[in-house]
Amino acid sequence: MNQLTPNSSRMIVCDGNEAAARAVVLARPDVVSVFPITPQSSLVESLSQFVADGVLGAELINAEGEHSVLSALQGACLAGARTYTATSGPGLAFMFEPYVRTPGLRLPMVVSLVTRDMLSPQCVWGGQQDAMSVRECGWIQIYCEDVQEVLDTVVMAFKLAEHKDVLLPVNVCHDGNYLSYGVSRVEMPAAGLVDEFLGEAAVNWHIALDPARPMAVDPLTGGTGPGGAASFVGYRKSQIRGMASALDVFSDIHAEWGERFGRHWAPLVEEYRLDDADIAIVTIGSMTGAGKDAVDAARDRGEKVGLIKVKMYRPFPRGAMIAALSKVKAAGIVDRSVSFAWDCGPLHQDVMTALFASPVRIPLVGCIGGLAGADITAEHFARVIAATAQAAGGDIPASPIWLNEHD
Amino acid sequence: MAAQDTIRFVPERCDGCGDCMKACSKAKGSASRISVVAGVGQGWEMALCRQCGDPKCVANCPAGALDKHGGTGIVGWSAELCVDCHLCTLGCAYGGIAFDPTAGHVQKCDMCDGAPACVLACGKGALQHLSAAARLHETHADKEDMFVPGLSACQGCNSELLIRHTMRRIGRESIVAAPPGCIPGMGTVGYNGQTGSKVPIFHPLLTNTAAMLGGIKRQYERKGQDVTVVALAGDGGAVDVGFQSLSGAAERGERVLFICVDNEGYMNTGMQASGSTTFGSWTSTTPVGEIGRGKSTDGKYLPQLMMGHGCAYVATASTAFLDDYHAKLEKALAASRAGFAYLHVHAPCPTGWRFPAAMTTEVCRRQVESNFVTLWEFTPADGLRFTRGVERPRPVADYVRMIGKYKHLAPADLERIQASVDRRVETLQGFRRRPAAE
Repeated sequence: MNQLTPNSSRMIVCDGNEAAARAVVLARPDVVSVFPITPQSSLVESLSQFVADGVLGAELINAEGEHSVLSALQGACLAGARTYTATSGPGLAFMFEPYVRTPGLRLPMVVSLVTRDMLSPQCVWGGQQDAMSVRECGWIQIYCEDVQEVLDTVVMAFKLAEHKDVLLPVNVCHDGNYLSYGVSRVEMPAAGLVDEFLGEAAVNWHIALDPARPMAVDPLTGGTGPGGAASFVGYRKSQIRGMASALDVFSDIHAEWGERFGRHWAPLVEEYRLDDADIAIVTIGSMTGAGKDAVDAARDRGEKVGLIKVKMYRPFPRGAMIAALSKVKAAGIVDRSVSFAWDCGPLHQDVMTALFASPVRIPLVGCIGGLAGADITAEHFARVIAATAQAAGGDIPASPIWLNEHD
Repeated sequence: MAAQDTIRFVPERCDGCGDCMKACSKAKGSASRISVVAGVGQGWEMALCRQCGDPKCVANCPAGALDKHGGTGIVGWSAELCVDCHLCTLGCAYGGIAFDPTAGHVQKCDMCDGAPACVLACGKGALQHLSAAARLHETHADKEDMFVPGLSACQGCNSELLIRHTMRRIGRESIVAAPPGCIPGMGTVGYNGQTGSKVPIFHPLLTNTAAMLGGIKRQYERKGQDVTVVALAGDGGAVDVGFQSLSGAAERGERVLFICVDNEGYMNTGMQASGSTTFGSWTSTTPVGEIGRGKSTDGKYLPQLMMGHGCAYVATASTAFLDDYHAKLEKALAASRAGFAYLHVHAPCPTGWRFPAAMTTEVCRRQVESNFVTLWEFTPADGLRFTRGVERPRPVADYVRMIGKYKHLAPADLERIQASVDRRVETLQGFRRRPAAE
């Protein structure tokens, strides 16, 4: 047991799913509900084993499907529980009905999305189409680059979700296959320090199902009756305020994490070798590692290339993205999913939207790669860099570059 | 219709004087139909008809001479039909029916038209004439109503009656889930910041009531706090889209009381058919026209499926038999301390089924008298037990003809309904635990 929640930090070797599960142990949730789905299964297997071993002292609900998983957690959270689950792809789709309701109830739960491409074509491999499909549901969305970041971010996510100015559910996304099963060295923070960092769960002071505080939870609200419209608008606006607050709150949480544990992650967007760059590539999730390698290689060739990694995707860190892009003359954006609205990826859309709110006008090159488990290698990124350099010279592709089209 | 009455015997007050027997004998002009007998230890016992809910004398009678009256609850005897076989006296464990040599046939208590002579004669208070209303008053009158006045249920709806009775009994240490349907529709969860209830209450989704309640209960168990979590759900949220979460929670044995108030359709939103809607029913999505003749399949019978989950307690109930409901509610609450408890209460809907609002309770009673609705309870240990006999039911047509949603039905349709009612009773009988001796 002590091995899992040590009194001092120590190194272990594990994959991203186990890292998330170990982060959950550190966060000491009251209720965890699980249902397995590829590529998330080993995560909930780990949680179940931790409960069986007495390492994780949470109520474990083995529900009959993701819809009930999240529903049970909603109930538990309304009764005062710190809660956690994880899902993926079709599981997220099945969870959608309670999922879309959670932010409006302002329930601060943490749910890992082990991202997977969406059916059909039938596939069981990584891709971010599942998470991107729910980007407008009101959940905070955070994407991780490596296994250590998964562990650290799942812990930090509880603090973000439960912050009184935020009170929103958080999805911590880690890429199926590449992070779920990718093994690396990870530093486990000391359990006692994490307890100090997180503090007591405060999840239902604003809305509760508790005989000591009887109230109607979520009665009909809105309509054209007296005060209905004002009431509904009031709730929606406060939800938006919670989202907006998440940017600063998450930045503060990262600063505190860095002070306590010595790892300083960029909370919103990370700028890598950007300060003197002519062009940048924009990445999200585990592809960032290969992207950084490609940037390093380009730098070795004398090309002034930098990288912008998106960590917080919802709310979209517009200011940080504008500040980063204002340093370069063109950017190549790599999406691991598609948008069916435009001929580009969703991250591409968000970057364009952010730019329109600023005086910065630079060419953007849209790239789509890594669908259904495909790898995005440093060679793929070399193509992105080359296309972006051409765009800086005025040669802007009219449609996205599909990185794995010939793989 | 009178509430169902009984005579209560209080042994501590009985001195064995026999005044009751004399009064009975005098009133009936025959041998006394009650008998003071020596108790097992000190004191006295009373051989007296209990007017049982599931009378064994009626079940034993091969001639149809004994019958429990649906309205008064009195087990009556018919001189015309009796063949003097005395099998009824063997069935009764209370000595409530016995051969009377002076009359030359069996005799039993008939409650003296509501003023039992024995009770009037007892000066010690050892016999008390107790109506169902009096019993409910004794146990529930001092309990607080948990809903606001002025809930806006349709006229004649028995759901409001049911939820008020239920929550008076359960009290404040509770959390109520009212998934979308008539119960929140009548205002129990409130509107724009106002609540309709004194206890914590919420709208789950139509689909996830049992799962949410399970999550709530787990957290209170974790905190060591005894809170009753209860669903007041409709049939749609139980048999249709809510079925998966209900099934999962039942399988996990979550300590939840799930009450399904079955009005056989989505009545709150305009009377669309649900999985519980019965064969032949007109609804707004199984309309009657040149071709359509109402619902073309039988309803899904959820209580039987819940037995299949091995729930700690499963029972059916009708608001025409409130005594029976309250007894089952007690057992369900006790069972929900250890496992999943499921109550299925039938709720004929005057608005959607098209019968006069004043007839609801009579419709409920006719459902039961015709076996269209059977009253039973189930535990894994004891199997199924009918709490009201299913022998010699009225023809189901007597019930069907009261209801507007069936008015288009042809004789062949009625035969089909009768056959499916008979089949269901037969199926349910198979869930009874057979005595080891057999």
